Amino acid sequence: MSGGGDMNEGRGMSGGMGKGGGMRNAFAAEWTKLWSLRSTWWALAISMGLMTVMAFTVGRSVVDNNTNAQSGDDQGIVSVSGTAISSVDLVQFVPVALAILMVTGEYASGMIRPTFTWVPSRGRVLAAKALVVTSVVIPLGVLLGVVGTVAAGFALGDWGRFSWTDATSDILAFALYLGLVCVFALGVATLLRSTAGTLTTAFLGLMALPMLLMGPAASRPLAENLPSSAGRTFMGIAEDAPYRGSIGLAVLVAWTVASLLFGRFILVRRDA
Amino acid sequence: MPIVGSARPGPVPSVVGMITMRDLTKRFGERTAVDGLTLDIASGKVTGFLGPNGAGKSTTMRMVLGLDRPSAGTALVNGRPFAELRHPLREVGALLDAKAVHPGRSIRAHLLAAARSNGLPGRRVDEVLALVGLEAVARRRAGTLSLGMGQRLGIAGALLGDPAVLMFDEPVNGLDPDGVLWMRRLMRSLAAEGRTVFVSSHLMSEMQLTADRLVVIGRGRLLADAPMAEVVASGTRVRVRSPRARELAAFLTSAGLDVMVGPDGELTVSDASAERVGTLAHEAGIPLFELTVRQRSLEEAYMELTSESVEFGVAEPRVEARA
Ligand SMILES: Nc1ncnc2c1ncn2[C@@H]1O[C@H](COP(=O)(O)OP(=O)(O)OP(=O)(O)O)[C@@H](O)[C@H]1O
Ligand SMILES: [Mg+2]
Repeated sequence: MSGGGDMNEGRGMSGGMGKGGGMRNAFAAEWTKLWSLRSTWWALAISMGLMTVMAFTVGRSVVDNNTNAQSGDDQGIVSVSGTAISSVDLVQFVPVALAILMVTGEYASGMIRPTFTWVPSRGRVLAAKALVVTSVVIPLGVLLGVVGTVAAGFALGDWGRFSWTDATSDILAFALYLGLVCVFALGVATLLRSTAGTLTTAFLGLMALPMLLMGPAASRPLAENLPSSAGRTFMGIAEDAPYRGSIGLAVLVAWTVASLLFGRFILVRRDA
Repeated sequence: MPIVGSARPGPVPSVVGMITMRDLTKRFGERTAVDGLTLDIASGKVTGFLGPNGAGKSTTMRMVLGLDRPSAGTALVNGRPFAELRHPLREVGALLDAKAVHPGRSIRAHLLAAARSNGLPGRRVDEVLALVGLEAVARRRAGTLSLGMGQRLGIAGALLGDPAVLMFDEPVNGLDPDGVLWMRRLMRSLAAEGRTVFVSSHLMSEMQLTADRLVVIGRGRLLADAPMAEVVASGTRVRVRSPRARELAAFLTSAGLDVMVGPDGELTVSDASAERVGTLAHEAGIPLFELTVRQRSLEEAYMELTSESVEFGVAEPRVEARA
């Protein structure tokens, strides 16, 4: 639970420390804040449960499609880890909500003002939050990937194909995607400040909008370059990938960086 | 034992705390909430910050803490903008809005996060919790605290870094009589240790007991910035009763005093000492039956100062008489 902030600094050293010390302290404070809320633990538990259920369900439906009377919907033998991480569409909203609440929860309670009096550099506060989000969500993503792969394996049985190399790269890509999309959401939360508004925006932007825009040919290029679509391509679970996975990663990183920079731009200018 | 368990080696802060405002201005759209405030809040004193609702007290404090960006002018703490302080909690402790904590977090975790943000040792959290009398509820979630307990949590947060400058926005709000007395002693002892204490309040009698200096604002503008004794004494009045009141009134007026004649012939002389009035009466050979000095209370002084600038004044309450 404790996050490496230096507790033993002597007094009267205020002036002489490098920037790293300030960032370390800011990180330690954000880390302590995150883990001292019950909602954090709930989010972790719920994401695990949801991942298990989703991966198992997706696996079962593959089996059903393969074994029912119709042959048109047969998918044959599929990748176990690929099946697991394709439940990302729904599962991502739990860690995304966690990241959003790290900002909007503070605006709702007024806690943002103590936060800024503890660490007056707002850019540093945002950076610390982004670091805490990634250092929690990426390991969580690995765990979810493993749990999901086990669940999908159970559901698929003989219809599943498992390889360590596939599983490793699928799970790592999944974890990296979750980390990036959560930081992306953090930036949006900094802009919007309201929990309901940001959650709605995240849901529309990550799920509804790509589906909607994927239809008309004119809006298809846009749909393919939205964060979640780029992420699917990167993870190798897009229906028909428009570009290579590495480009998907680059597009997603661009969205994340842009969201964070824009969030910071607004954050330092507006009154808290 | 000093009231503030000190994490500092010596009892007196090494840096002299100071809040400096120069032409500090804040506009919200059309409305000017703070209008060209120039102030030096000195160390070793409790400075009371008074003004009607909406006068701009909280906005001023938020600007000092870098939460609101001034429209013009500057606010400095220890000679630097708040945003440039490396470890702000070690230099400035502030209680602005005690309710502004996450309701789901335990009060100990809240303070621990604060301590970590400024590289303070975890034991400091237990020290301040003991100091404000919240050790017993350290594990309670902040949302379950009573108004006064929440206020104490805010005070604990302000004292955490053992800062030389303290700002409290209506700190006794919601405190019980014990708590009010405790807060008064705390502020007095903080000032006695050489710290800067800047405190806003609407409780005039409490302020009169606590503050050494007063800053009064109305509609964002400075109305007074003076030692408490001066603000209160400036309105000293002498009440005089005499069998030859009219004659005395005329004589005092001709001596340049401001005299009011009451309905039953009683005289009120403003801004004069009893010595002066007594001596003048003696010179005129007029006997006196009564000569009393009435010091203005802070409340009266305040009412006079701010009568022009009360924004949200209410009508006199009227009670419908029933036959
Ligand atoms: N964020 C804001 N947006 C618009 N107006 C604001 C904002 N914050 C404060 N004001 C206005 O600025 C003025 C000063 O408010 P402030 O809270 O500083 O007064 P105050 O002296 O602390 O009053 P009180 O004694 O009631 O606490 C008020 O008219 C208030 O409505
Ligand atoms: Mg106020």
